[in-house]
Amino acid sequence: MNGTVGLVLVSHSADLAAGLRELLRQVAGDAVAVTVAGGDDDGGLGTSYDLIRDAIAEAGSGGGVLVLPDLGSSVLTAKALLEQHPDPGVRLVDAPFVEGAVAAAVIAATGADLDTVADAAEEAWHARKL
Amino acid sequence: MPESSETTVVLPAHLHARPAGQVVVTAAKFTSTIEIVYGAKTANAKGVLALLSLGATAGETVTIRATGPDAPAAAEAIATTLRTTE
Repeated sequence: MNGTVGLVLVSHSADLAAGLRELLRQVAGDAVAVTVAGGDDDGGLGTSYDLIRDAIAEAGSGGGVLVLPDLGSSVLTAKALLEQHPDPGVRLVDAPFVEGAVAAAVIAATGADLDTVADAAEEAWHARKL
Repeated sequence: MPESSETTVVLPAHLHARPAGQVVVTAAKFTSTIEIVYGAKTANAKGVLALLSLGATAGETVTIRATGPDAPAAAEAIATTLRTTE
Protein backbone atom coordinates (compact mmCIF):
# COMPACT_ATOMS: atom_id res chain seq x y z
CA MET A 1 0.00 0.00 0.00
CA ASN A 2 1.28 3.42 -0.89
CA GLY A 3 0.25 6.79 0.44
CA THR A 4 -0.26 8.37 3.80
CA VAL A 5 -2.27 6.53 6.43
CA GLY A 6 -5.61 8.22 7.10
CA LEU A 7 -7.21 8.57 10.53
CA VAL A 8 -10.85 8.26 11.56
CA LEU A 9 -11.90 9.84 14.86
CA VAL A 10 -15.00 8.19 16.32
CA SER A 11 -16.55 10.08 19.19
CA HIS A 12 -19.87 10.37 21.00
CA SER A 13 -19.63 14.09 20.40
CA ALA A 14 -19.32 15.74 16.99
CA ASP A 15 -17.71 18.74 18.68
CA LEU A 16 -15.12 16.58 20.43
CA ALA A 17 -14.17 14.82 17.19
CA ALA A 18 -14.05 18.10 15.25
CA GLY A 19 -11.96 19.77 17.93
CA LEU A 20 -9.49 16.92 17.99
CA ARG A 21 -9.23 17.04 14.22
CA GLU A 22 -8.41 20.75 14.45
CA LEU A 23 -5.64 19.97 16.94
CA LEU A 24 -4.24 17.23 14.72
CA ARG A 25 -4.13 19.58 11.78
CA GLN A 26 -2.07 22.01 13.79
CA VAL A 27 0.35 19.38 15.10
CA ALA A 28 0.67 17.18 12.04
CA GLY A 29 -0.20 19.52 9.18
CA ASP A 30 -2.51 18.97 6.23
CA ALA A 31 -0.70 15.96 4.76
CA VAL A 32 -2.73 13.47 6.81
CA ALA A 33 -6.36 12.77 5.99
CA VAL A 34 -8.37 12.96 9.21
CA THR A 35 -12.10 12.32 9.05
CA VAL A 36 -14.64 12.30 11.85
CA ALA A 37 -17.66 10.26 12.87
CA GLY A 38 -19.07 12.25 15.75
CA GLY A 39 -22.44 11.84 17.44
CA ASP A 40 -25.49 9.93 16.29
CA ASP A 41 -27.44 10.19 13.03
CA ASP A 42 -29.52 13.07 14.38
CA GLY A 43 -26.57 15.17 15.49
CA GLY A 44 -26.94 14.32 19.16
CA LEU A 45 -24.51 12.57 21.47
CA GLY A 46 -24.03 8.95 20.49
CA THR A 47 -22.59 6.75 17.79
CA SER A 48 -23.60 6.13 14.21
CA TYR A 49 -22.72 3.03 12.22
CA ASP A 50 -23.31 4.90 8.96
CA LEU A 51 -21.19 7.90 9.93
CA ILE A 52 -18.28 5.63 10.86
CA ARG A 53 -18.58 3.72 7.58
CA ASP A 54 -18.63 6.99 5.58
CA ALA A 55 -15.70 8.43 7.53
CA ILE A 56 -13.60 5.32 6.83
CA ALA A 57 -14.39 5.53 3.11
CA GLU A 58 -13.48 9.22 3.11
CA ALA A 59 -10.16 8.72 4.94
CA GLY A 60 -8.88 5.98 2.65
CA SER A 61 -6.03 7.32 0.54
CA GLY A 62 -4.15 4.13 -0.30
CA GLY A 63 -1.94 3.90 2.77
CA GLY A 64 -4.58 2.37 4.99
CA VAL A 65 -6.90 3.74 7.64
CA LEU A 66 -6.56 3.77 11.42
CA VAL A 67 -9.80 4.07 13.38
CA LEU A 68 -9.61 5.68 16.83
CA PRO A 69 -12.72 5.43 19.00
CA ASP A 70 -13.22 7.49 22.19
CA LEU A 71 -15.01 5.00 24.47
CA GLY A 72 -18.00 2.73 25.03
CA SER A 73 -20.35 2.42 22.09
CA SER A 74 -17.89 4.18 19.78
CA VAL A 75 -15.60 1.21 20.30
CA LEU A 76 -18.39 -1.37 20.00
CA THR A 77 -19.93 0.15 16.89
CA ALA A 78 -16.59 0.55 15.11
CA LYS A 79 -15.67 -3.01 16.09
CA ALA A 80 -18.97 -4.41 14.79
CA LEU A 81 -18.57 -2.53 11.53
CA LEU A 82 -15.06 -3.83 10.94
CA GLU A 83 -16.07 -7.37 11.82
CA GLN A 84 -18.89 -7.22 9.28
CA HIS A 85 -16.68 -5.59 6.63
CA PRO A 86 -13.16 -6.90 7.26
CA ASP A 87 -10.47 -5.02 5.37
CA PRO A 88 -6.74 -5.50 6.00
CA GLY A 89 -6.23 -1.83 5.20
CA VAL A 90 -8.55 -0.64 7.96
CA ARG A 91 -7.61 -1.12 11.60
CA LEU A 92 -9.29 -0.32 14.89
CA VAL A 93 -6.75 0.71 17.50
CA ASP A 94 -6.89 0.55 21.30
CA ALA A 95 -5.35 3.86 22.38
CA PRO A 96 -6.04 6.99 24.43
CA PHE A 97 -8.23 9.17 22.21
CA VAL A 98 -6.35 12.49 22.28
CA GLU A 99 -2.79 11.31 22.86
CA GLY A 100 -3.14 8.33 20.56
CA ALA A 101 -4.55 10.48 17.77
CA VAL A 102 -1.78 13.08 18.14
CA ALA A 103 0.95 10.43 18.13
CA ALA A 104 -0.62 8.61 15.18
CA ALA A 105 -1.16 11.76 13.13
CA VAL A 106 2.41 12.96 13.54
CA ILE A 107 3.86 9.57 12.60
CA ALA A 108 1.44 9.30 9.66
CA ALA A 109 2.74 12.69 8.47
CA THR A 110 6.21 11.17 8.17
CA GLY A 111 4.84 8.69 5.64
CA ALA A 112 4.96 5.71 8.00
CA ASP A 113 2.94 2.57 7.23
CA LEU A 114 -0.22 1.40 8.99
CA ASP A 115 1.60 -0.90 11.45
CA THR A 116 3.91 1.91 12.55
CA VAL A 117 1.08 4.41 12.90
CA ALA A 118 -0.97 1.93 14.94
CA ASP A 119 2.04 1.22 17.19
CA ALA A 120 2.52 4.96 17.77
CA ALA A 121 -1.10 5.27 18.87
CA GLU A 122 -0.81 2.32 21.28
CA GLU A 123 2.46 3.62 22.73
CA ALA A 124 0.49 6.63 23.91
CA TRP A 125 -0.67 4.48 26.86
CA HIS A 126 2.86 4.82 28.24
CA ALA A 127 3.35 8.55 27.71
CA ARG A 128 3.30 10.44 30.98
CA LYS A 129 2.18 14.06 30.99
CA LEU A 130 4.37 15.15 33.85
CA MET B 1 31.16 2.33 14.21
CA PRO B 2 28.26 4.79 14.33
CA GLU B 3 28.97 8.45 14.39
CA SER B 4 27.77 10.60 17.22
CA SER B 5 26.92 14.27 17.21
CA GLU B 6 25.72 16.65 19.88
CA THR B 7 24.56 20.25 19.77
CA THR B 8 22.56 22.59 21.96
CA VAL B 9 19.73 24.99 21.18
CA VAL B 10 18.18 27.78 23.23
CA LEU B 11 14.49 27.39 22.50
CA PRO B 12 12.94 30.53 21.01
CA ALA B 13 9.48 29.22 21.99
CA HIS B 14 7.90 26.53 24.16
CA LEU B 15 8.33 23.01 22.81
CA HIS B 16 4.58 22.64 22.47
CA ALA B 17 2.49 20.50 20.15
CA ARG B 18 3.19 22.09 16.77
CA PRO B 19 6.99 22.35 17.01
CA ALA B 20 7.12 18.87 18.54
CA GLY B 21 5.28 17.58 15.47
CA GLN B 22 7.79 19.35 13.20
CA VAL B 23 10.69 17.80 15.10
CA VAL B 24 9.26 14.30 14.57
CA VAL B 25 8.73 14.88 10.86
CA THR B 26 12.31 16.14 10.53
CA ALA B 27 13.74 13.30 12.65
CA ALA B 28 11.98 10.70 10.50
CA LYS B 29 14.14 11.72 7.53
CA PHE B 30 17.25 10.35 9.26
CA THR B 31 18.28 6.86 10.23
CA SER B 32 20.22 8.02 13.30
CA THR B 33 18.81 7.71 16.78
CA ILE B 34 18.06 11.25 17.92
CA GLU B 35 17.44 12.24 21.51
CA ILE B 36 16.53 15.59 22.97
CA VAL B 37 17.71 16.16 26.51
CA TYR B 38 16.17 18.75 28.78
CA GLY B 39 17.33 18.79 32.38
CA ALA B 40 17.03 15.27 33.74
CA LYS B 41 14.62 14.19 30.99
CA THR B 42 15.47 12.59 27.67
CA ALA B 43 13.03 12.09 24.79
CA ASN B 44 13.33 10.25 21.50
CA ALA B 45 12.92 12.89 18.78
CA LYS B 46 10.71 10.51 16.82
CA GLY B 47 8.01 10.42 19.53
CA VAL B 48 5.77 13.45 19.78
CA LEU B 49 4.29 12.61 23.20
CA ALA B 50 7.73 12.10 24.73
CA LEU B 51 8.84 15.46 23.34
CA LEU B 52 5.78 17.15 24.82
CA SER B 53 6.40 15.56 28.20
CA LEU B 54 9.82 17.21 28.37
CA GLY B 55 7.98 20.39 29.28
CA ALA B 56 10.77 22.48 27.73
CA THR B 57 9.93 26.16 27.67
CA ALA B 58 11.08 29.25 25.79
CA GLY B 59 14.54 30.48 26.75
CA GLU B 60 15.65 27.08 28.03
CA THR B 61 18.53 25.12 26.55
CA VAL B 62 18.04 21.63 25.18
CA THR B 63 20.71 19.24 23.97
CA ILE B 64 20.29 17.25 20.77
CA ARG B 65 22.15 13.96 20.63
CA ALA B 66 22.28 11.99 17.40
CA THR B 67 23.91 8.60 16.93
CA GLY B 68 24.14 6.82 13.61
CA PRO B 69 25.45 7.08 10.06
CA ASP B 70 23.89 10.50 9.43
CA ALA B 71 24.31 11.88 12.96
CA PRO B 72 25.83 15.31 12.17
CA ALA B 73 23.21 16.15 9.56
CA ALA B 74 20.42 14.87 11.80
CA ALA B 75 21.51 16.91 14.80
CA GLU B 76 21.86 20.02 12.66
CA ALA B 77 18.44 19.53 11.03
CA ILE B 78 16.72 19.13 14.40
CA ALA B 79 18.56 22.17 15.75
CA THR B 80 17.39 24.22 12.78
CA THR B 81 13.82 23.03 13.27
CA LEU B 82 13.89 23.96 16.95
CA ARG B 83 15.50 27.36 16.31
CA THR B 84 12.93 28.34 13.71
CA THR B 85 9.75 27.26 15.49
CA GLU B 86 7.35 29.87 16.68
